[in-house]
Amino acid sequence: MDQMVTYVIAAARYILPVLALWVIFRCVRSMLREKYEPEVWGYVLDGKNKKVYQLNHWENLLGRAKSADVSLDDRSVSRVHSVLIRNDDGAWKLYDTFSRGGAWVNGKNAGDGAEVYSGDTIKLSEKELVFEDISPARRAQLEAGRTPAGRNIGPGLTLFGLTVFQAFLLLEHTVTASGDYVMNITLGFLSLMLIEWFCYFAMRSIRRNGFEVEILAFFLTTLGLSVVATSAPAEMFKQIILIIVSVVLFFIMGWWLRDLDRTKKIRVVVAILALMFLILNLAASKVTNGARNWISIGGFSLQPSELVKVAYIYVGAATLDRLFRTRNLIVFIAFSAICVIALALMGDFGTALIFFATFLVISFMRSGSIATVALAVTGAGLAGFLVLSVKPYIAQRFATWGHAWNDVYGAGYQQTRAMSAAASGGLFGKGAGAGWLKGIVAANTDMVFGVVCEELGLIMAICAILALLVLAFFAVRSAAHGRSSYYVIAACAAVSMMLVQLGLNVFGSMDILPFTGVTFPFVSKGGTSLLSCWMLLAFVKAADTRKGASFVVKSPTKAGREEDEDE
Amino acid sequence: MKKVTRRAISALLVAALIITGTAFYCWRYITDGADWASFFGNENVTGTSVLTDRNGVALASETGGKVTFADDYATRVACYQTVGDMSGNIGTGAITRFAGRLAGFDYINGTTKSTGKTVKMTLDSALNVTAYNAMNGRSGAVLVSNYKTGEILCMVSTPSQDPANPSKSPAEGTYLNKCISASLTPGSTFKLITLTAAIENVKDIYSQTFTCSGSVDVAGVKINCTGVHGSQTVEQALAHSCNCAFAKIAQEVGGDTLAAYADKLGFTSSHSLDGIPTLAGRFDKAPAGSANLSWSGIGQYNDLVCPYSMLRLVSAIGNGGTFPEPTLLGHSSVDKPTSLISADTAQRMKEFMSYNVKNSYGTGTFPGLSICAKSGTAEVGDGNTHAWFTGFLDDLDHPYAFVVVIENGGGGLRNAGAVANTVLQAAVKSGS
Repeated sequence: MDQMVTYVIAAARYILPVLALWVIFRCVRSMLREKYEPEVWGYVLDGKNKKVYQLNHWENLLGRAKSADVSLDDRSVSRVHSVLIRNDDGAWKLYDTFSRGGAWVNGKNAGDGAEVYSGDTIKLSEKELVFEDISPARRAQLEAGRTPAGRNIGPGLTLFGLTVFQAFLLLEHTVTASGDYVMNITLGFLSLMLIEWFCYFAMRSIRRNGFEVEILAFFLTTLGLSVVATSAPAEMFKQIILIIVSVVLFFIMGWWLRDLDRTKKIRVVVAILALMFLILNLAASKVTNGARNWISIGGFSLQPSELVKVAYIYVGAATLDRLFRTRNLIVFIAFSAICVIALALMGDFGTALIFFATFLVISFMRSGSIATVALAVTGAGLAGFLVLSVKPYIAQRFATWGHAWNDVYGAGYQQTRAMSAAASGGLFGKGAGAGWLKGIVAANTDMVFGVVCEELGLIMAICAILALLVLAFFAVRSAAHGRSSYYVIAACAAVSMMLVQLGLNVFGSMDILPFTGVTFPFVSKGGTSLLSCWMLLAFVKAADTRKGASFVVKSPTKAGREEDEDE
Repeated sequence: MKKVTRRAISALLVAALIITGTAFYCWRYITDGADWASFFGNENVTGTSVLTDRNGVALASETGGKVTFADDYATRVACYQTVGDMSGNIGTGAITRFAGRLAGFDYINGTTKSTGKTVKMTLDSALNVTAYNAMNGRSGAVLVSNYKTGEILCMVSTPSQDPANPSKSPAEGTYLNKCISASLTPGSTFKLITLTAAIENVKDIYSQTFTCSGSVDVAGVKINCTGVHGSQTVEQALAHSCNCAFAKIAQEVGGDTLAAYADKLGFTSSHSLDGIPTLAGRFDKAPAGSANLSWSGIGQYNDLVCPYSMLRLVSAIGNGGTFPEPTLLGHSSVDKPTSLISADTAQRMKEFMSYNVKNSYGTGTFPGLSICAKSGTAEVGDGNTHAWFTGFLDDLDHPYAFVVVIENGGGGLRNAGAVANTVLQAAVKSGS
């Protein structure tokens, strides 16, 4: 029997990466390879030319531009003429977007929004069109023809694969962990399995079958749990509680995002809360490792900047009418500037950088203007020099960048250890719990990539990067079928934010970028970071409009003018 | 919405950066992973790593970042540049370059054992001591290898010092392994290259007669010879190391062909000695008919040769044109030998070099050795000359190729030749 266990342990080293790749591969096939048909929400008829335009989104741009959703070949129509928007209750409105010739509904100027009903005439300058809502019967018919999520690649089997992966990982830990902690670690992993299967069945019970986004997040969370098991086994229980809280917040956030009107309504409140949080942080935080980004509340230390990340995207994303009706980004730029400056004052250079990169993504998606982005980069570059000159602690990190090996006892201490341990692991790792890097300061947060490389191998570390990349590609793919630009922008901003964070963490600890000490999404130990990552994930779920996939997205057959008793 | 969808590409841009960065990291893992893993702070490497010579003499051992060198002072000094030092002044040193092997690292498994490894080099440290003593305080390099196996037996660079007790400001050139990291004016040893090119490109080279009256006028420049050699065959011209003859041969071969042979025979490129890059030499093509073209064929002008490149050429000649690349770690069965020249050319060159020794140097200078060689006395401008002596033993039991250079060492045969004789006698005696 003992012999058997030895063999299993030896094999686990190779089984783990294979299982991880299999899980990710199934997610890729289901999320990126399966048919993804658009939804249909109404029609615009061009009687004169006998043309019918399908409205595939809740927010549609009408104009002469090729990139308009209803692209009209008529000289009198402006390139960006008006937007036709459906709200949560199924009511449609037309907005004029500063067009030359004006927009009318049944002869009434649309201006700041005119209600449109089925059969109404829409006039854009000289062009006359008829709007037609889709009948519930027709929509149900179309909906029946769409490919349901997980039809060919069931998420249940993928989740089972992940569970087997977790079991092997647990097995490795039970061998390497010291006796006192074996129980702790075992309970931790079993709890995680319970949590994920509970979520899965909860989703099935409301007939939602798109679970790949969650599976990828659970995969990363598993790696994070493994890092806690090796570096701080006494805190397994705390970590599980954090995971539960994170997942609950994920569902609450997703449920809140279901209703776009509700979501939009509290944006100002969220913005004010976020700013207050940052100010509170500046006032009441204590300095840790040169950065003042922690506050302690009753024994729990909290990193407010992590929660502000979620708020930032919540505030930054916008619907199509805003995109084309308020031409400037001044309010958003001001909000961003305050956030970044507050973070810089705290000395949290890494997070400030993440905010800034996210700002670039959001401002480009909102304005489509490279000039805006270039201007922002220039401005930030100047500000960056200022920060470097007044914060010796950050200048030091820049000086070390690329020269970590020249100062193995000083500024390059952490990076050199991380690189050395990472190389030691080879492709398959030394085994979960068998590394030494975990003993170095901040190993399970800032240098977590090194710990994963050392213990689980380079393949697993690349799988972790891959999992986030798959999420990003999925968000971009979903963008084509998003209901509202709010969801699309939020999802793309959320994945970009996570990727930038991942880049700074991985490449910082491996001396490819300056070492800024940020966390690896989902994997780094650190409560607030885990909470914010799961909440960011809700934005991705909100953009997933595959049939019956996401709990954040209401079924089209039920979301209508009639009584909205969802599921 | 379509507009926004298109702008979602910005998220893909971020993804592309991550992919690029990850690829870059993987590339660095391949190129530098061994160095990272061998870092003394790496607790996965806990045992002692030992670097030995071919007879198991420990040249350096490392435990937890602490390096101890050979017990014997003479061995430490004679192997200083080959083994390397603690502070990393010698970038080409074995303890730096083979650190990954010493840590037991490979790309698939990372560090495989918790104990260190023993890495055995082909070097014979006793032979190094002999060579170091023979140099007798003069600056230069001694390189001996087995041309059948490629194994380097002796690699000495002087001046040297004791790695266990290093000076902060040692003599100039101490940190340089001149066998692989220096290139010097080759003088008459370069005639081997000119002659190789001539054999393969000048059809009537064997029927020509070269007349020497002590000097020759090329484009108005007087090229002096070592003596007055009268009328001679090409064979005799090499044996006399006749500048007049080779000034003419260089013109007949032409600058293009001569440059092409310097490249082809590996004199102008860097080679890899078990992953350690060697220094490239230099050959500048001079215009046809010019005195500089003649000088370049005699091994003067701007010619620079790394001793390592010369070792490759004489190994090829000794081994019939094809030879295993020199190595300090030994070859595996899959390593393919290098083909440098044709078997015919190698045979001709061997005969020339053998004739040279018998008729010019006298076999009595090298008692008991069936040696084929060429000397060089390279003028370096300030009235000084580098002494070169290179060749091989035409002896199946002792197939040694060698290069000896002494900077500002005077005549090639008398000085470098004597060092070569001492080292080769010791090598044959020990039979390694």
